[in-house]
Amino acid sequence: MVQKELKDKLDELPIDIKLRALDRLKIHVMRQKYGYFSRLCLLIALIGPGILVMIADNDAGGVITYAQTGAIFGLGFFIPFMVLMLPVAYIVQEMTVRLGAVTHRGHAEMIWKRYGKFWGMFSLLDLIIANVLTLITEFIGITLGMELFGVSPFISAAVATIVILSIQLFLRYYTWEWISLSIAIFNLIFVPLVFSVPHLDWGAVANSFGSWHINGGIRPLFIYVVLANIGTTIAPWMLFFQQSSIVDKGLTVKDIKDGQIDTFIGSFVMIVVAIAIILITGSVVYGTDGNSNLGIIQILSTISDKMGVIPMRLFALGLIEAGLIAAIAISASTSWAAGEAFGWPKSINLPPLKGWHFYLPGLISILVAAVVVLIPNIPLSFLNLTVQVIASIFMPAAMLFLLLLLNDKEIMGEHVNKLWQNISAFIIVGFLIIMNGLYGLSIVFPHIFGK
Amino acid sequence: MKFKKIENNKHEEKIIKKANLEESFDDFIKDEGLLDYNKIPLNKAEIKGWVKWAFWFLRIYILIMVILVIIGFSKIH
Repeated sequence: MVQKELKDKLDELPIDIKLRALDRLKIHVMRQKYGYFSRLCLLIALIGPGILVMIADNDAGGVITYAQTGAIFGLGFFIPFMVLMLPVAYIVQEMTVRLGAVTHRGHAEMIWKRYGKFWGMFSLLDLIIANVLTLITEFIGITLGMELFGVSPFISAAVATIVILSIQLFLRYYTWEWISLSIAIFNLIFVPLVFSVPHLDWGAVANSFGSWHINGGIRPLFIYVVLANIGTTIAPWMLFFQQSSIVDKGLTVKDIKDGQIDTFIGSFVMIVVAIAIILITGSVVYGTDGNSNLGIIQILSTISDKMGVIPMRLFALGLIEAGLIAAIAISASTSWAAGEAFGWPKSINLPPLKGWHFYLPGLISILVAAVVVLIPNIPLSFLNLTVQVIASIFMPAAMLFLLLLLNDKEIMGEHVNKLWQNISAFIIVGFLIIMNGLYGLSIVFPHIFGK
Repeated sequence: MKFKKIENNKHEEKIIKKANLEESFDDFIKDEGLLDYNKIPLNKAEIKGWVKWAFWFLRIYILIMVILVIIGFSKIH
């Protein structure tokens, strides 16, 4: 095709689809080349949503949960347990890759159009409420971490808001993804920190895989922490985010393999970071007075005492990054879901004025979180509790829809779940539904597993 | 003031120059799913068999959880 003709045809497309078409032309060119290097370049161009969703899942709340897990239970059960979470995260999220690549529609749109307005609205409202509340916890992480660098909460909330809004509004998808991934790299800050832990008992780490030893034995707190870690590994917004991201990036059935590799790399990085945090606090904080009831500030203070100020600041930097990247991903998932449900044009490629109703829900959620976090004496524990309760009601619904859609031959064709995928998915989803329900109940009834 | 996403025309020209479409542009658009899916209708799923059971499970689960949450929250306050 003549270049001029191609350019004219591209110019006829709506701006968001035109930008996606240019990205896909690039992929098309790369696909025509042979050799390992070209294949690697293609993979690098196609990866992104899987890594982003998994790293964003190691959010401020996640970092705090892992830090507390290590502080309470030390080096033992939770190290192999987190390794076990890798296939759980991968199997659940991989389904969104296939669903997005085959249907070119987001999760909210699929629920809305295949199962009707009631379930569509139920999912959308749950997602938006849970996202806004989770965003507040991300801003708590950001402001708390920045305070350790002497920055006031007002300044840090304002700067974070401006950064997130700019990233969402003024970048096209491809640049948005790479800038987000560049921020996400800082999540790995916890990994080198492990090597500055004084006298880390690598023998105990290795033994934990054989013994699965639970320091302190099985007690109500242990069950609660297990449930909290599962809740941290898979969250409802992740399903919506990755599927929409796959669609906005323009992945097709030809790219499913790369999407799966992307999801595996993401799951691997997420688990490595989670284990790194558990190793740090499990070595440094475990065994200190009142370790079963430590907040993140006390944990950071202990890290400062035992490892020094610089490691403590690096840990705080990781907390800030975790809040920032999660806020970017969660607000994007809100915008995508609203756009999909109401049939608006929905793409990060859209210019701000043209796609204002697409951007609005995400931007409002960011502004609400930034303002709420500055309210003095805000009931943080109540907010956190509400997030978990909503997630525990919503998660089974989101997962069941995922499984129903992945078994829907009419839309999935040959990419429908295979028998082994269904068996593993049903086991995992069943396990997560039970655990999620128990977690929700344990939050509402704190003494359900004993005092 | 008119906002516009950062567009790199040079970059665009480079991609177009390199692109070597063996197929027609329309086929490329179709293959790559570069369509406005808001305009393409999607049929509502037929709820039958085990799917019907799944939906009943979901309704009951949600109902039980909502009742327990209301009881739990009323105890907190």
